[in-house]
Amino acid sequence: MLDRIDELRDELTDVSLNTLEEAEDFRITYLGQRSGIITNLFKKIGQVAPEDRPTVGKQLNALKQRAEAIHQEARDRLEREDEAEPPNVDLTLPGRTPRVGSVHPLAQTLRDITRLFERFGFSVAEGPEIEDDWHNFTALNFPPEHPARDMQDTFFVEPPEGPRNGVVLRTHTSPVQIRVLENTAPPVRIIAPGRVYRNEAISYKSFCLFHQVEGLYVDEGVTLGDLKQMLRTFAEAFFGDDVQMRFRPSYFPFTEPSAEVDIWWADPEHPDGGRWMEILGSGMVHPNVLDAVGVDPERYTGYAFGMGVERIAMLRYGIDDIRTFYENDVRFLQQF
Amino acid sequence: MDISFRWLSDYIAHGRSPDELAHALTMGGLEVESVTPRGPASEGVVIGHVNTVRAHPDADKLVLCDVDVGSNGPLQIVCGAPNVEAGQRVPVATVGTTLRMPDGDTRVPFTLEEVELRGEASQGMICSAHELELSDDHEGILVLPDDAPVGTPLADYLATQGLALTDYVLDIAITPNRPDAVSHIGVARDVAALTQHAVRRPDVDYPREDSDAPPFTVAVEAPDACPRYVGLRVTGITVEESPDWLKQRLTAVGLRPRNAVVDVTNYVMYECGQPLHAFDYDRLRGPAIRVRQAEGGESFTTLDHVARDVPAGTLLICDADKPVALAGIMGGANSEVTDSTTDLLIESAYFDPVTIRKAAKALQLATDSSYRFERGVDADGQVWAAFRAAALITELAGGTIDPDGFVDAHPRPQEPLILNLRVARVAHLLGTALPADTLTQILSALGFRVAAAGEGVLRCEVPLFRPDVRQEVDLIEEVARIYGYDQIPTPGHTRIPTHTPQALPSTMLRAQARTVLTGTGYREAFTNSMLRKETAERFNQPPLGGAKAGATVETLNPISREMAALRPTLLPGLLDVLQFNHNHGQEALHFFELGHVFRQDADGGSVVSGYAEHEALLVASSGPVGTTAWDQTPRSADVFDVKGVIEALLQELRVPDVAMTAVYEPTDVTQHHLTITAQGAPIGMIATLTADLTAAYDLEQEVCIAELDWAAIVALAAPHLERRPTPVQRYPVVERDLAVVVDAATPAGAMLDVIRATGAPLLKAADVFDVYQGEGIPEGQKSLAFTLRLGADRTLTDAEVDAQMEAIVKALRSTFDAELRR
Repeated sequence: MLDRIDELRDELTDVSLNTLEEAEDFRITYLGQRSGIITNLFKKIGQVAPEDRPTVGKQLNALKQRAEAIHQEARDRLEREDEAEPPNVDLTLPGRTPRVGSVHPLAQTLRDITRLFERFGFSVAEGPEIEDDWHNFTALNFPPEHPARDMQDTFFVEPPEGPRNGVVLRTHTSPVQIRVLENTAPPVRIIAPGRVYRNEAISYKSFCLFHQVEGLYVDEGVTLGDLKQMLRTFAEAFFGDDVQMRFRPSYFPFTEPSAEVDIWWADPEHPDGGRWMEILGSGMVHPNVLDAVGVDPERYTGYAFGMGVERIAMLRYGIDDIRTFYENDVRFLQQF
Repeated sequence: MDISFRWLSDYIAHGRSPDELAHALTMGGLEVESVTPRGPASEGVVIGHVNTVRAHPDADKLVLCDVDVGSNGPLQIVCGAPNVEAGQRVPVATVGTTLRMPDGDTRVPFTLEEVELRGEASQGMICSAHELELSDDHEGILVLPDDAPVGTPLADYLATQGLALTDYVLDIAITPNRPDAVSHIGVARDVAALTQHAVRRPDVDYPREDSDAPPFTVAVEAPDACPRYVGLRVTGITVEESPDWLKQRLTAVGLRPRNAVVDVTNYVMYECGQPLHAFDYDRLRGPAIRVRQAEGGESFTTLDHVARDVPAGTLLICDADKPVALAGIMGGANSEVTDSTTDLLIESAYFDPVTIRKAAKALQLATDSSYRFERGVDADGQVWAAFRAAALITELAGGTIDPDGFVDAHPRPQEPLILNLRVARVAHLLGTALPADTLTQILSALGFRVAAAGEGVLRCEVPLFRPDVRQEVDLIEEVARIYGYDQIPTPGHTRIPTHTPQALPSTMLRAQARTVLTGTGYREAFTNSMLRKETAERFNQPPLGGAKAGATVETLNPISREMAALRPTLLPGLLDVLQFNHNHGQEALHFFELGHVFRQDADGGSVVSGYAEHEALLVASSGPVGTTAWDQTPRSADVFDVKGVIEALLQELRVPDVAMTAVYEPTDVTQHHLTITAQGAPIGMIATLTADLTAAYDLEQEVCIAELDWAAIVALAAPHLERRPTPVQRYPVVERDLAVVVDAATPAGAMLDVIRATGAPLLKAADVFDVYQGEGIPEGQKSLAFTLRLGADRTLTDAEVDAQMEAIVKALRSTFDAELRR
C-alpha cells in the first residue's frame, strides 16, 4: 500500500493540466466518488494491518490533499485564462459623447481682461446702455455744440433739443466713470466692461455696437507714468512679453493729457513687415471731469483708459471681420 | 487732412524724409494715417537735346532722333510725335526707367528696355507731359525751354521752376482740439517744435491801420457771431487759369483747380488755416457788407447752384439788398467770381464756432470752410490772410490792391489768455520732473510767450491760434507731447490697494450660469441689440412682454429700418441665430445669451428715468438633445429639456422659493408656457413656441425657450453666493416607491406639492419616476409612480415610515381621488 502511495505521489508530480477538460478528467481519475484511484485506496484501508493504518492513513490523506490542490490550482488557473480571452466587445466604437457648449469668444476676452485688472486691485462696475446726456457727454467735458461730439456717431433715443438735452445709447463705457465717482470718494479703482453703440456703417471693421472695457484710477499722486506702466502690463499679458508698444498723444475730452496706445502687429504681406494697430485710448482724468463729480483736482489725480474688446479679440484670435462675432455660426463658436 | 510734403517744406527746413516726418508728427500728436507718393517715379528721366531728326527707313509715321543726354554720346530714339524737331530740349526716359503709362482711365507701370522698332534700335523714349503725369496734354512730346540744362534729371530742373514732379501726401487725422493744425503752416509749427527748427512764414506787406475812406462799408449787426470781419478790395484783375505749380499743390491736397482767384483763396486757407471768400465786387449792391443772423423763412442759392432754406440763426453776409453768402459755409451764386470779374472783395473773417456749427448742421452742409470755423480759426490771422491772398492774386491775375479798400471791422477783439504753469505740477501729473528751461523752450517753439512769474511758476500767454488751450493742464499736455510720451519713464513698481476687491455678484453668477449652460450643451451667442420695430413689438407681447411691460424703445436716427428699435427680449436675436445655423446645416440648436433688454417705463425707470433696462438670460433649444451614440435613437428637445436645465440652473444659483405655474392658453408666440416666480415675484418664463413662429424661422423641430430676468435673479441669489453647508446626515435614508392611479388630467406638480407638504419633516426628497397610461389602467386614468426618500437625525423605525407613507396616501386620496396601484 505504501509503495502504491509512493508511486502515485511520483505520478502526480508529472501531471500537467492544460484545459478545464483535462482538469476534470484528472479529478475523476484520482478523486472520483466511485472509481477514483485515491478514493479506491481509501476503500482498501481496512485491508492494511492495524498497526500500519495510522501511517498509511496519514500518507493517503496527504496524497489526496495533494491531488485536490493540483486540481484546484489547475481550475483556478485555467478559469482565469478562460476569462482573459478577448471579450465580445468592439472597443473601437465611438464613445457616447455628451453635448458640450461653448462660451462666446467675446465673453472669454472680457473675462480675461477683467481678471487681469482685478489682479491689480480694480473692481468691476456696471452701468446702463441707455444713458443721459450728462453722463455720456457733458460731465465728461464734451461741451454742447463742441466738434468733439462728432467723434462718436451717436444713436439718440431722445433728441438733443429735448428737455434732457438728449438721451442716447451710450457711445462709450466712460459714463460709468461718472456714475462711480458721483457715489464713491477716492481712491477709486474700477473697470467697467459693457456694450456701447455707434451709428456707423457696418463693415468688416466696424459694427453698430461693440464692447469696451473702461478703466479708472483716481487717487492722490497718480501719474502718467503709472498709466503707461499699467497699460504696458496689460499689453504684455495679452500680446506677449516681447510686444512692441507705443504711447502717442491723442485727444479725448475727458482726459488731459490724452494718449492712444498702438502695438506693432507683424504682417508678412505688409511692405513694412507689419503695422501699428491702435488698441486703446487713455489719459489723465481731466480736471473738469473731477470738478463735475465734486472731486478736488488739486488733491486727486487719476488715469482712465478704454479699450475695444472686439479689436483685442480680433487681434488675439486672428479674426479679420468684426461681424463674425455677431453671426454666431456654430462652426465658429465651437472653436472656443 | 492732406498735407503736401513739398508744400510743407516751404515753411520749414526739417531735413526729414516723408516717413521720418510722419513718425515724428504721429508721436507728437498729429497722427499720420498714411503717406502716399504722388506723381511718377521720375528717376531716369533726364533732359535731352534733340541733335538731329532723321526719317525712319521703314515707317512713315516714325522718325529717328539722335538725342544728347549729356553723357555716353547721343542716343538713337525712335519717336512718333508730330511735334518733334531738331534743337528741342525734351524729357527723355532712359532705358531702365519705370513710368506709369496711361492705360484707359488708369495707369500701369512700364519699364523701358532697348528695343527695335521696325528694324531700328530705340534707346529710350521722348515723353509727353501726359506720360510724365504732369498734365493731361498728350498732343505730342513736352518741349522744354531752351535754357533747360541738358543731362540734368528732369525732377531737379522742375523743382527749380517751382514744379514738383513727385510729392508725398501725409494724411493727418486732426483731433477736434487742434484747429491750429488744419493748415500747412500749422503743421509746420508742430514740426518746428518737434525738430527744433524755425518756421518761415511768407512775408506779407499790410498796413497797420485800415483805410480812412473805404469805397464800401462793413456793418456787423451780429458782433457775437462775427467778432471780426476784414474786407479787402482788389481791382483790375483778369480771371485766368492758375499756373501749374498752384494747380499741382491744390491737386495734391485733393482740391480741384478752378481759376486763379478761387484757387488762391483755397491755397491760402490750406496754407494758414484761414478760410477766405472772394466776391465779385461789382455784383455787391451798395457797395456794402452787412453781417446779420437769418430770421428764418429765407431762401438762398449757394454757388453750387442749390437753393437752400436758411434756418433761423444762420449767419448771413449781405450786401445792401440781399444775402450774398452763408457766412463761413459757402458763398452765393449771385456774387460769385466769373471769367468777366475785374474787381474783388476778399473776405477774411472770424466767425463764432458754435454759430457756424449749428448752421452747417442744420443745413447739412459741411465745407472746408465750416470745418475750420467751427473748430476755431486764429482770431489774429485775418489781415495777414487777406493781404497774402491779395498779393498772390495780383501776382497771378494782375490788378492792384486798392490802398483805400481795406476794412477791419473788429467789434469784439480777443485778448490772449494768460495761464500760470507750475513746474511742480508738471512733475506731479507726468511722474517725471522737467526743468523750467525745457518747459519754456517747448512752449515758445509752439508760439506761446513764456516768462518766469515767481518761484517755480511760468506765465504763459496763449496764442490766439490755440483756442483749445484753456487751463494749466492743457499746457502740460503741450509740453508732454513735444517732449515725447515715450520719454516719460515708467515706474518699476505699482501701488496695489490694501483691500482686495470682491468680484461683483453679477460677475460671479454669470460665470456660474455659463458653467451650467455650457456643461449641458448650450452655446453662448452675442446678438444685435437693435432690430425692426415690428419685430420688437411682435415679441413684446405676453408672455414675454405683457400688459404691464412698457412699449418698445426706438432710436431717432437708426442706421436702417432693420435696426430701428431696441430689443425688449432676447428671443428674436436668438431665433435669428437658430435660423442661421439651421440654414447652414446644423441640427442641434442649443443657445443662450446674456444681454440687456429695453422697454419704456412711464412710471419710473431702472437708471435713466422713463426707461426700464435690465439684463436678461435667454435659453433656446431645438433639435437633437442628449448624448450622441450609435446605440441610441436621437431625441428632439422638448419643453422638459429646457425646464430641466432652468431648474438645475436656479438650484445651482440657490434662487430661493422657486415656483412654476403652467399656462395652457396659446399666445401669438407660445403654444403653452410656464411662468416662474421666486419668493412670489416673477423672474421669467419657459415656453414652447408656436408652430407658425417656428416655421417662420425655417425651423423644422419644435423650439423651446426660457427667458429669465437676470437682474432679479442676481438680487435673489447674491445672498446665497457664500455657501453654508449643513452637515451630511449620517443616519440611513429609507427609500419607498409609491404608485397611484388618478384621473388623467391631474397635474403631477400639484401631487408632488401635496406629497411634500404631507411628508414633511421626514420626507427629504420626492420625484416622479414613471407616468403610465394603457393596459391595466382604466380608460381616462393614469398611473404615476413616485420615489420618496425619508430620513431624520436618527434611524427611522418601519412603523414611523409606514405611518408617514400612510398619511401621504391618505392625502393623495382625499385631494386627488388617487388609488394605490396594486
